[in-house]
Amino acid sequence: MTTEKKDFQTQFEEWKALTEKLIEKFPEKKEAFKTSSGIDIARLGHPESLDEDYMEKLGLPGQYPYTRGIQPTMYRGRTWTMRQYAGFGSAEETNRRFRYLLEQGQTGLSVAFDLPTQIGYDSDDLMAKGEVGKVGVAIDSLDDMEALLRDIPLDKVSTSMTINAPASVLLAMYIVVAEKQGVSQAQISGTIQNDILKEYIARGTYIFPPKPSMRLITDIFAYCAEHVPRWNTISISGYHIREAGSTAAQELAFTIANGIAYVDAAIEAGLKVDDFAPRLAFFFNGHNQFLEEVAKFRAARRIWAKIMKERYGAKKPKSLQLRFHTQVAGSTLTAQQPDNNIVRVTIQALAAVLGGTQSLHTNAKDEALALPTEDSARIALRTQQIIANESGVTDTVDPLGGSYFIENLTDQLEGYVFEYIRKIDDMGGAVSAVEQGYMQREIHQAAYETQKKIESGEEVVVGMNRYKLEDEPKPELHRIDPELQRKQIEKLETLRSKRDQRRVSARLEELRAGSKGTSNLMPLIINCVRDYCTVGEICGILREEFGEYTGI
Amino acid sequence: MKKIRVLIAKPGLDGHDRGALVIAQALRDYGMEVIYTGLRQTPQQIVAAAIQEDVDAIGLSCLSGAHNELFPEIVSLLEQREAGDIIVVGGGVIPWEDIPFLESKGIQKVFTPGTPTKDTAIFIEKAVYERDGIDQSVKEPPKKIDHIGIAVSSLEEALPFYVNQLHLKLEAIEEVVSEGVKVAFLKIGESRIELLEPIGDSSPIATFISKRGEGIHHIALAADQIEDRLRELSKNGVKLIHETPVKGAGGANIAFLHPKSAGGVLYELCSKVTKEAE
Repeated sequence: MTTEKKDFQTQFEEWKALTEKLIEKFPEKKEAFKTSSGIDIARLGHPESLDEDYMEKLGLPGQYPYTRGIQPTMYRGRTWTMRQYAGFGSAEETNRRFRYLLEQGQTGLSVAFDLPTQIGYDSDDLMAKGEVGKVGVAIDSLDDMEALLRDIPLDKVSTSMTINAPASVLLAMYIVVAEKQGVSQAQISGTIQNDILKEYIARGTYIFPPKPSMRLITDIFAYCAEHVPRWNTISISGYHIREAGSTAAQELAFTIANGIAYVDAAIEAGLKVDDFAPRLAFFFNGHNQFLEEVAKFRAARRIWAKIMKERYGAKKPKSLQLRFHTQVAGSTLTAQQPDNNIVRVTIQALAAVLGGTQSLHTNAKDEALALPTEDSARIALRTQQIIANESGVTDTVDPLGGSYFIENLTDQLEGYVFEYIRKIDDMGGAVSAVEQGYMQREIHQAAYETQKKIESGEEVVVGMNRYKLEDEPKPELHRIDPELQRKQIEKLETLRSKRDQRRVSARLEELRAGSKGTSNLMPLIINCVRDYCTVGEICGILREEFGEYTGI
Repeated sequence: MKKIRVLIAKPGLDGHDRGALVIAQALRDYGMEVIYTGLRQTPQQIVAAAIQEDVDAIGLSCLSGAHNELFPEIVSLLEQREAGDIIVVGGGVIPWEDIPFLESKGIQKVFTPGTPTKDTAIFIEKAVYERDGIDQSVKEPPKKIDHIGIAVSSLEEALPFYVNQLHLKLEAIEEVVSEGVKVAFLKIGESRIELLEPIGDSSPIATFISKRGEGIHHIALAADQIEDRLRELSKNGVKLIHETPVKGAGGANIAFLHPKSAGGVLYELCSKVTKEAE
């Protein structure tokens, strides 16, 4: 017993020494952190002596099982990346908003694409009617991508792209634009969402059936492991699962089950776990129940570390670390009394920070009504800047760690998740569970229960089913240029007449041939975009070869 | 009566179907037959499905901002195919300033976020019955006696009899300023006794007591669809004190019928909202 105790103490001393060393290289923001009363703020709160139970469940930050965070100094070293999802209308307009956000102190970009782009249709496709530039920026070809990223230094700014089914195409465009800026693909950094399973489950922007979709994903893993090492090749997303109405436990369970499916697919495609696992990222929802949310993020790290170590035998620390982005819950925003949403966003964002998020998007107050205006987008960014700079919660690592309640919730959520994972394993894994509609049904049931609780008043939504206002003032809303689709179509016509049509056809036929075989499609897609093949043309070829998913 | 058939449809490319699925389930629970199209339907597909399925109404859900293009197109295609009698309603993320435009294009109603699903169901039901000339009169009797109102000069003097002698439980005391009364509720089985004390001399209870002395003042019947009932009663010549419901104690919607039409008894119709939802 005494020897063991000493062992933990030694481990702790070693951790301290390692941390000091790390700080020499990457200093913390201040020499000393103090409260207003002059009390020293410890880097890490911990029990007087570390025992086996503590080390097994919580451990030390930056060490397995990472419950307390993936870095030893967390936000004392560097604040999370403030990454506001934005995009609307034309590439030029969105470029202006991006540059505005960077000027306002945002530290990373996050691109929202319009639905035709996300589903692989050009702006002049019949299916695109009414949707061009609405929920994001319209990108048809490299031409648009160049306009979107004009004057943004791609070696310095990291960019997240919410793109799934055609993720390879947009990543290919990003690589080529960087190349034209003189930035090599080895230097660029960012994330593509690239998580098709949750599209079938909750978000709906799928194109191809599961099997070829999984191939496109593993092709990206393989290509980036070799050529684009700083790129996060997937952002395994619970966000949309939660938005569709799941519980916190389901969000966690289904996301991690999907994660397992991607790891399995990559291993089956011949990749080594430690080659691609460090670039897997996660994306969670920051929802209302503050304490459960904090516990959820902590449980997520511990569960993933255990799975990667025990199930896959991953060795590299980076393979075991669950890094995640958080967006606060859009579905909790009310159309009634929209100013109240600022408060909701603040509480949800604080939960993400206390849960140790790596990056954060805070919603704008008017998102239940329309896309954010410049004003509301700025307030959203300010909200996280206030948490980061004024609240002091960043001065110590995992401040809620050790709370009886939080630790208990963390343990219980973990229990639920492993139970769900067993169930999904029994069904043949996440892909097969999705095909059987299992997760979809579970989520729908939870969503309907929530709705009934809100309507009966059991669940209170301030300003909506309690504390209502008669005759609310109507806020100013963001409008999309109704002429945009026409302009975008004109632009596309000009492009089609300007480009070298023979090269376009040749590249597309090469892609077709590649898609029939087993070779990696990424280089072929990069060749296509370089010669200005459009998103619709590239996805069109793949549609012909792979078929389309039509729901269940 | 035949079941109302509704097509819930997702026009355009938007993949957010939480709302569509929830409303589909809620309409089913309300007693309608519901067909859900699934995602990514063109206006043509939606109209074809509506005609083939012979639906009474279509509920459109769109959260992507494409509603101004897609919703009116569906209405005009229905008209072209001589199915203009199908009722079209919509919901989703729809800015308030677009609603008059959509309504002018034949969308009968736009339900914005936060609308209780039951309101949507009732709207569709009414619109269909109206279109089909179906008698919408309320034939259901009131559910129970909600409470018996007793006029007292002073709650303080009256309460000990109920609490100490009858051993009834005092639930709440509340002032309803708009009606000029302070009321005490005592639970008895499924019903209540409501003691009414006047606030000020202009209170109707003060008038009642000065004319007739303390005693039974009114009988309240629990009933839903109060507005429909009032309309119908009025149509049939029953005199009303309230033509439309007002807020009573406990946040309930209430309306009084005139004793002249009820053999000298003052009846109240009341519909309680759930306590939490106040």
